[in-house]
Amino acid sequence: MIRFLFRRIALTLPTFVALMFVTFVAIRLVPGDPVEVRVGEHGISPERLAEFRHQLGLDQPVWKQFFDYVWRLLHGDFGTSVVTNQKVLTEFFTLFPATLELAFCALIFAIGIGIPAGAIAAVKRGSTYDHTLMGMSLTGYSMPIFWWGLLLVMFFSERLGWTPVSGRIDLIQYYFEPVTGFMLIDALLSDQPGAFWSALSHLALPAIVLGTIPLAIIARMTRSSMLEVLNEDYVRTARAKGLPPWRVIGLHALRNALIPVITIIGLQVGGLMGGAVLTEYIFAWPGVGHWLIDAISRRDYPALQGGIMLISSIVIIVNLFVDVLYGTVNPRIRHGR
Amino acid sequence: MAADVTLAAPISSAAQPSSFAEFWASFRENKGAVAGLVVLSLIVFVAIFADFLAPHSPLEQFRDAVKLPPAWYEGGNWAFPLGTDALGRDMLSRIMHGARYSLFIGLSVMSVSIVCGVALGLLAALWGGWVDSVISRIMDLIVAIPSLVLAILIIAILQNPSLEKTIAAVTIVSLPRYVRLVRASALSEMGKDYVTAAKVAGVGSLRLMLRTVLPNCLAPVIVQAALGVSDAILEAAALGFLGLGAQPPTPEWGAMVGDGREFIRSEPWIVTLPGLAILVTVISINLFGDGLRDALDPKLKRS
Repeated sequence: MIRFLFRRIALTLPTFVALMFVTFVAIRLVPGDPVEVRVGEHGISPERLAEFRHQLGLDQPVWKQFFDYVWRLLHGDFGTSVVTNQKVLTEFFTLFPATLELAFCALIFAIGIGIPAGAIAAVKRGSTYDHTLMGMSLTGYSMPIFWWGLLLVMFFSERLGWTPVSGRIDLIQYYFEPVTGFMLIDALLSDQPGAFWSALSHLALPAIVLGTIPLAIIARMTRSSMLEVLNEDYVRTARAKGLPPWRVIGLHALRNALIPVITIIGLQVGGLMGGAVLTEYIFAWPGVGHWLIDAISRRDYPALQGGIMLISSIVIIVNLFVDVLYGTVNPRIRHGR
Repeated sequence: MAADVTLAAPISSAAQPSSFAEFWASFRENKGAVAGLVVLSLIVFVAIFADFLAPHSPLEQFRDAVKLPPAWYEGGNWAFPLGTDALGRDMLSRIMHGARYSLFIGLSVMSVSIVCGVALGLLAALWGGWVDSVISRIMDLIVAIPSLVLAILIIAILQNPSLEKTIAAVTIVSLPRYVRLVRASALSEMGKDYVTAAKVAGVGSLRLMLRTVLPNCLAPVIVQAALGVSDAILEAAALGFLGLGAQPPTPEWGAMVGDGREFIRSEPWIVTLPGLAILVTVISINLFGDGLRDALDPKLKRS
């Protein structure tokens, strides 16, 4: 197990190096002199230009600049935003809890509905319920989620007035210092009546929008994996023993059917981060996806560079974690290769 | 030529003359797939003949008919069946022309990434060693960065978003799936006897790659390609929505949804109709792709 763990970690190292290389090159490919962008003045004197270039380390050879960059990253220095002059790392981790809360709730929504819905469809294979669910699943993963988000806003916020249009909580009524950064938990801790409800109603639509594609994929995957398992000998044995159907399905079949579903859930993380960009943009959700779009429109390249480095690192680490988890539940993977 | 056939296709179910008929018989059984194909053909037809079918130019602004609702609503006008947008442009004509952009993006992304993906995948499988490592790690990297985020980064580097840059960005993002697929199936083919036989017979490596191994790896690639088109269309529409894709006044569906955003309260059709067009197109391609998979690759058939 330890060997498997180390082998997996070793496999991701080159990806990290490549990631650092790409973000390093990318920032150099962006047109515009970094000094000019930084200083914001045209036609500065050559002496001052040389001074700035020296300050930013741009007078060094490129390979040395790259190693400096890697060195800084390893020491937790992800650069400084040109616009706010804040450390990118600080900005990122102030906003990240908002994205994490959104993504987490979206995933809970997707798993909570997707797995039971998919399992029932497999058991009632060929029924109207099965066909309806598969049709909905197809629609779900074909959905342009930015449009889906607007549709939901149009219906639930504008027409019915049930949910707010944007933000994380009603800032006029409720204010409290962030403790955990997760609005739902902070609202509960604040002891202000109604704060939790306000936070929840702000979160509902964005979480549904972000969770729609994972929901469709998880439901479909659970169904097909369940269908396979239901034909296995051990399920037939369990049935023959006279176990009640819910025990056969819930304990014997579903537990084994979930193994491939775990991998699929893990693979959703990258998509969730991409979807978060769109969702946060639509709902003015103050997370890292929204911040990334802002960084582009403000041409804040250090923030973009640091942000992409951080988001991708998180995705790589989560995928590693899922891989290891999968190896734990399915020993065949661990010992194969 | 005869020698080729025996070498290249010992299990040549894919190369026999009856294969298309066989494929069609199996494809036809899947009602969803046929429905997808019908709708898709309709969309392709509209895209090709948009110039003749559309009642107006997609760019012409009718200043006295701004924000007109679809014709069946009160205040609608049959001259503009689906209404007009904020600048008085005919929605129907814009959506018809928009089909061109979406399909064009989807098809070009698919064809470029198949060509590059097949080349890189075969290279990795046949050369092995450091070539394989480099290619595989680059693909790992592309997969590690969330696809939309990577596409945004590429657009930021290229500056001044446009249709061509959207295609370039989405192509790079969708490359890994083809490379990995071709590499994996080429590797599994390489261990088979007919490849060894070809090698023993002295077939050169280029020929081995293209004529012996490749034809036997193609079925999963074709299946992946159909589904790849729909992903590319969605990805490109998202970029358009964010203002990082096709630029106004291009009637690209994603950009139309993005531009119409501020009118969702008062003139919802400006937002709903182009989005619906994306949804219907993507659903029909996915249905078609599923049918293709079931017919071409019975191993992957979903039960």
